Amino acid sequence: MLSRVAESLYWTGRYIERAEDTSRLLHANFHGLLDTDLDRGRAWRDLIWVVGQDELFREHFSDYTAPAVTEFLLWHPANPDAVTSCIARARENARGVREQVSSEMWEHLNRLHLLVSNRRPAAVLASPHDFFVRVREGSHAFQGVMKATQPRGEAYEFLELGGHLERADTTARLLSVKVPGLRAEEPAAVVGARLTSLLKSCGAFEAYRRMESDELRAERVVSFLLLERRLPRAVCFCLELCLSAIRAISGGGARPERAIGRVFAELAFTELYGLDESTDLLLARVRHGISDAADEIASSYFTTRVIPPGPYAAAQHQQQQ
Amino acid sequence: MTTSANEPVVSLDGRYDTGGFYDEMFEAPDRPRPHYRVLADWLGTLSVEAFEERRHAVDVSFLNQGIGFTVYGQEEGIERIFPFDLIPRVIPREEWDRLERGLVQRVRALNLFLHDVYHEQRILSDGRIPAELVFGAKHFRREMIGLEPPGGTYAHVAGVDIVRDEHGEYLVLEDNLRVPSGASYMLENRAAMKREFAPLFERYGVLGIDQYPQELLAALRAVAPPAAGLGTVVLLTPGVQNSAYFEHSFLARQMGIELVEGRDLLCHDDVVYMRTTQGLQRVDVVYRRVDDDFLDPLVFRSDSLLGAPGLFNAYRAGNVTLANAPGTGVADDKAVYRYVPEMIAYYLDEEPVLRNVPTYLAADESDRAYILDHLAELVVKTVDGSGGYGMLIGPAASRKELDEFRGRIVAEPRELIAQPTIALSRMPIYVEELRPAHVDLRPFVLSSRLTSVVPGALTRAALRDGSLVVNSSQGGGSKDTWVLRT
Repeated sequence: MLSRVAESLYWTGRYIERAEDTSRLLHANFHGLLDTDLDRGRAWRDLIWVVGQDELFREHFSDYTAPAVTEFLLWHPANPDAVTSCIARARENARGVREQVSSEMWEHLNRLHLLVSNRRPAAVLASPHDFFVRVREGSHAFQGVMKATQPRGEAYEFLELGGHLERADTTARLLSVKVPGLRAEEPAAVVGARLTSLLKSCGAFEAYRRMESDELRAERVVSFLLLERRLPRAVCFCLELCLSAIRAISGGGARPERAIGRVFAELAFTELYGLDESTDLLLARVRHGISDAADEIASSYFTTRVIPPGPYAAAQHQQQQ
Repeated sequence: MTTSANEPVVSLDGRYDTGGFYDEMFEAPDRPRPHYRVLADWLGTLSVEAFEERRHAVDVSFLNQGIGFTVYGQEEGIERIFPFDLIPRVIPREEWDRLERGLVQRVRALNLFLHDVYHEQRILSDGRIPAELVFGAKHFRREMIGLEPPGGTYAHVAGVDIVRDEHGEYLVLEDNLRVPSGASYMLENRAAMKREFAPLFERYGVLGIDQYPQELLAALRAVAPPAAGLGTVVLLTPGVQNSAYFEHSFLARQMGIELVEGRDLLCHDDVVYMRTTQGLQRVDVVYRRVDDDFLDPLVFRSDSLLGAPGLFNAYRAGNVTLANAPGTGVADDKAVYRYVPEMIAYYLDEEPVLRNVPTYLAADESDRAYILDHLAELVVKTVDGSGGYGMLIGPAASRKELDEFRGRIVAEPRELIAQPTIALSRMPIYVEELRPAHVDLRPFVLSSRLTSVVPGALTRAALRDGSLVVNSSQGGGSKDTWVLRT
């Protein structure tokens, strides 16, 4: 497979997942704040921290309010990771490799892009729930269409790799922003609300109840989201899938595989006995490990000539007969 | 005037105006031609509402699939869906057989001409075509002189534009031999029609065209260099911003080959490779949809970001085939076009099956005088133009435009030619009501060991009222084209 194509597929996977993740975080926040006494400003600020765009946000907004954060995360032109731009970029990447993805997948992505890009901000703010659901369903349908129509092979594996690496990264970021707050002495109701919101951000509330415990305890929730190998949004689960994707691509033994394997192994054989600084350190190592893995993937497989996008796009405009 | 929802699409009440043009479908406002009768009957039973539903379904499906093209001129290219009209053009077998004979004859002669001008140049030394016209052509490539392309073929894919005059005679308007596009629309239009008009196909025997990508791939494989590796064929695209990108990705997908950009290719020791996740992989045939100028910055335009440095040397060394070959543009130059009947006589010793449109060369003194005297009746085109950009349609032009072209004809005569305004044939399109639109025909001719034509074409219609320009970039749309079994 062409390196450029592999790169586009990997980023298609990442961008779709990023759009879903951001939209999930917003959704959980909107809902969680409706009927609790959590500090709203802090909850919205945390969201900006999770996506790692605090500096950019403060260039354009002064307060962490729901409308400001929502605007910034959904479609603000300055935010390269806004949900609508992620979907547009996923589509652009897929468009550049249309011959490699199944027609059904391309059509689905194209429809999703048309749907979100035609939405008017005021209408979305009036009923954000509907928008979040559409983005989430769009991402889920994409994954379903992909499983059902895309032949298994390198293209499939690069899509999987991108999607799951992105998801592992998001959950890890979310935990590292939220864990310090969970260690504070707070009334049980507040802790409960925080944990519920955390689980819901990862779509794991029901799963936690069923698989783990009917009691919300901070270290069990964190352990569940970090270490559980059967939960689709848990870091360990995602890394295991990344590992099998990279093995299918490389045939085994390459540097990216070792980078992913290192983080996965640590999580697979770790136990959490309470939340303390060592949890923060573990999360920091996991995040570094994921970022190393991304670098290794790029340097092993994506060695395309980087050309400045502006002139390159203009040069492509030659007339066809 | 629009029709109401439950009226039929076609009613032979004489409201449709053939307006003195040759109409493909109607001999007279109330009488369809014999091969259109089944269609007219069927459209006579279909209500406008049902027809619009089908049309909507096609539009939605084109939009969802992202079947479109990009229009240039604005800051950013705008993506549009390719407008499509649901009333098919029907061509009886007998007419098609003649078209096919004419096309094969013409493209064979053009390939022989290309070989000649880049080798012995007999047709020039025999004085049959003015040498200065050939050497002065913008797309004549000195680099190609003496070079033997694998398989001896230059124009592997030709998109020949054919029009029909007021008597219904098919005339060749242009030979597009560089990077002709449109085959994907031909195929997608057919797919859409099969979905929406299935019963009509059962009543007509329509020849299939789905084999086009396979035949194209076979033609490309057949001209792989003798020293080829595994016979790997790739399609080279300028990239996702190009107006025809949809077509490039469509054809690559249909042929099951890699769609590459210049930056994916690497040339080493006169061998072309593509960069893959498993390392470098040798490439044998490049079906390139990038213009000559941009193919290789070491040989052609040095500022090109789209090509691959070293590609032309690999070609010269015989290690890779480029399709179409560089330099084919000399044969579709609109001034050289005038001499295609001469080529057919010279190389094949045959009479042309399909005639040319009369053409006056601004470079020729007596022609030029004629052009200047009759400018308001003529169509003036640049010799290397395409896409309908920058032409003058005399009868529709303002005084200012006429003056501007008069100046250009004197200042840059080699750049311009003129042709009489052809009363292009028309046929019905459906836009709120049945109305006539001018149409042309672009069949695709494949050449490798043999020269062949898939029995179908892209019919382009000028969807703007009365417009004579059918190019997609000028607001034209397209129709499915049915070649009948009998």
